[in-house]
Amino acid sequence: MANVSTFLLRVTRAVTTSGVLVMMLVGGPALAQYPERPITLITPYAAGGSHDLNARVFTTYIQRYLDQPVVIKLVPGQAGQKGTLEAVQAPPDGYTLIFTDNYRDQLYQHTFRNRHYDTTADLISVARVNYGQVGLIVRGDSPYQTWQDFEADARARPGELKMSHSGLWAAFFVTAGQVMKDRGIRLRLVPYRGGGPAKAALLGGDVDISAGFPSSLVADVEAGVIRILATAGSERTIEDVPSFAELGISASAGFMHRAVMAPRATPADRIARLRAAFAELQDDPDYKAAMAQMGENTEYLDGEAYEDERRALGNEYAELAAAIAAL
Amino acid sequence: MLEALLAGFEAALRVDTFIWVSAGLLLGMLMGAMPGFTTTMGMSVLMPVAFLVGDPLIGIPFLIGVYKGGIYGGSVPAILISMPGTAASVVTVMDGHELSKKGQPRKALDMALAASVISDFISDFLTLILIIPVAAIVLGFGPPEIAAIMFMSLVIVSVTATGPVLKGLLMLGFGFWLSFVGADPFSAMERYTFGTTELYDGFHLIPMLIGLFALPEIFNAVRAGDRKRGRVASLVGDRLSWKELKASMRTILRSTGIGTAVGLVPGLGQTVAAMMGYIAAKNASKHPETFGKGEIDGVAAAEAANNAVNGPTMVPLLTLGIPGDNVTALLLGAFMMQGLRPGPTLFETSGAIVFAILIVMLFANVIFWFIGYYSIPMFSRVVTIKKSLLIPITIMLAFTGTYLARSNPFDLVTLVGFGIIGLALRKAAFDVMPMVMGFILGRELEYSFGQTVSLAGDSLLQFALTERLGMTAIVVATPIFGTLIGLRMSRLRKQELIRGG
Repeated sequence: MANVSTFLLRVTRAVTTSGVLVMMLVGGPALAQYPERPITLITPYAAGGSHDLNARVFTTYIQRYLDQPVVIKLVPGQAGQKGTLEAVQAPPDGYTLIFTDNYRDQLYQHTFRNRHYDTTADLISVARVNYGQVGLIVRGDSPYQTWQDFEADARARPGELKMSHSGLWAAFFVTAGQVMKDRGIRLRLVPYRGGGPAKAALLGGDVDISAGFPSSLVADVEAGVIRILATAGSERTIEDVPSFAELGISASAGFMHRAVMAPRATPADRIARLRAAFAELQDDPDYKAAMAQMGENTEYLDGEAYEDERRALGNEYAELAAAIAAL
Repeated sequence: MLEALLAGFEAALRVDTFIWVSAGLLLGMLMGAMPGFTTTMGMSVLMPVAFLVGDPLIGIPFLIGVYKGGIYGGSVPAILISMPGTAASVVTVMDGHELSKKGQPRKALDMALAASVISDFISDFLTLILIIPVAAIVLGFGPPEIAAIMFMSLVIVSVTATGPVLKGLLMLGFGFWLSFVGADPFSAMERYTFGTTELYDGFHLIPMLIGLFALPEIFNAVRAGDRKRGRVASLVGDRLSWKELKASMRTILRSTGIGTAVGLVPGLGQTVAAMMGYIAAKNASKHPETFGKGEIDGVAAAEAANNAVNGPTMVPLLTLGIPGDNVTALLLGAFMMQGLRPGPTLFETSGAIVFAILIVMLFANVIFWFIGYYSIPMFSRVVTIKKSLLIPITIMLAFTGTYLARSNPFDLVTLVGFGIIGLALRKAAFDVMPMVMGFILGRELEYSFGQTVSLAGDSLLQFALTERLGMTAIVVATPIFGTLIGLRMSRLRKQELIRGG
């Protein structure tokens, strides 16, 4: 009997130690009005991914403005459908939120069949936390000095040049599809398990071109190992490196908007409270510093503005999904 | 570079750093020992601790401690209740739990710890010495080479399985087929999902492992009833003796070599290393028939190999900025939050700090030994718990562990389903290990082979013969290698039959 209780004691102690540790980090005084208990943030992707990392950072600081901890719950699976379904079906009381992105939110309805929900109708934006901006990259010793060099070669040898990406319908894959569609070229797309292995494939010489987030490639560019040929968007973000718009690629291509959303039936005052907290977070120097260290931006967009943005993206994506599927 | 190494050495000698490493190791062990709570999840939850502390010589060693502790911690429930805490410790179940059933849980846990610590120490040392020169080699391994290694592993697993070859092959094929369930990774075409969304990602590994290994043990324990037992002190058995450790030293060193090599190649992982180490030990042993029946060398082989993977995964991460899996992706985030940017310039810009981290990683193994050594007596007493109490606890751990892994109720159905399959297979004297390996390797082989075809384009043969001679060499060598091992194994089987009567 004594042995059992010792064993159980150890187990409970282990659980509570980690629990207390987390509570110490995130705990704060509880208030009588919303939120009066911890909020769950569903992340529909696996531990260690870019969503997970970003969420770990902002949930650590957002509790300063919500007076309650935000606890991450990872619900990976089915390209994010599993977690999305759980968020849609959660009680709309402001205690369950989801950390999603524009592809999961607006594109996948065209690519993965689903009878259970319509993200646009069922979810409302709380805030766009930031975005990942994709760049097209080649090896430092590659013969392609500019995007034009690459495009000319790709036209001369359709379907022969290889591009590594981070997995079917993931950020780099969609970008690749958009580039091919807008420029009318055909590349051979090779999937890898995430951005890390996709970059390894480029460095190892397995493929001719890849995509990456330039903010996380600073060291490689400095060392001359990687050359960035273009960055997403209508404006240049790096001097001497053209933007997608300059090259005739849609300005909305290559952006991964990371957004926090809630079930649409959540009371308006609670949505307002959450939106206000995210607005306040933007002035937190610790939050900004932590994100900057990680190589992520803090390009916040408030919930209302992102609602318009996602509708616009949604209209574009029906055509894009069909075009990519046909490639 | 030598200057940075010396500066790193000086910077690493800090008391607080070692206190944080100890905390990380302890938390990692406890998390690893919780079935279903993977090392990745533990690190992800503890990530904020690392960046809130804000000192690279505290935050990163802390997370590395969690990583090392977690991979070892998984072996504790594997040995005691036949429940692999993480996928890395599947192979440990085979002999570890048998030893436990024979009343030697302490010896098995001691060996798991000794093998883990020794291999960790050696592989960390090799990492420290070789990190700069071997970085370039890592990039030579792409999907074609990985596919070839997976192919070779499958052949070796099938020829070394215990029992009749045909049964082994059947199980391997079954596991292989199971790995195809779900959406295929290249076109998202659904296979064998019967139109359900639950099977879209295929079967999840954790419930499958717990179902196959732990549930049949529980059923058997229930059937066997609560036998009268003697004194507690004798029940947990003896500690590992120096003589036994020395006898297994060759195995540990061999597994360390295998694990280190596997760790350098991004994407192979601990489970593959443990399996290769185990098979190599079985093949080199003078008495391979004892493997799978409580052979202490089997525990040493599996645990040394899976822990040796940890250190070398830092090579592609630090020198090239390439995380091979989710654990290293988290470490990449941790490095960046401390203002260190893994990649080609890391050693020039922050050489001293990075060397300090690697040195702390090396010395953390000493603390690892102490924490492990003093926690084993406590852990090993689990087997002295009365069955009427231990069985419900084990059942609870099996179900909570399954649910914890990814909060999916369907996984509970998977758990029970594979529990029944495991029980039936055991009744019919089938070895489930080839099935599990078929499942794990099947997925990897399909993915890497698909990538290879995609890279090769029109002519796979031309691609193999002109650009990928490494892959071709492995594929050509496989049947020869497989036949040799197979012949040796069948000779041993015959000898065993003669000896058996």
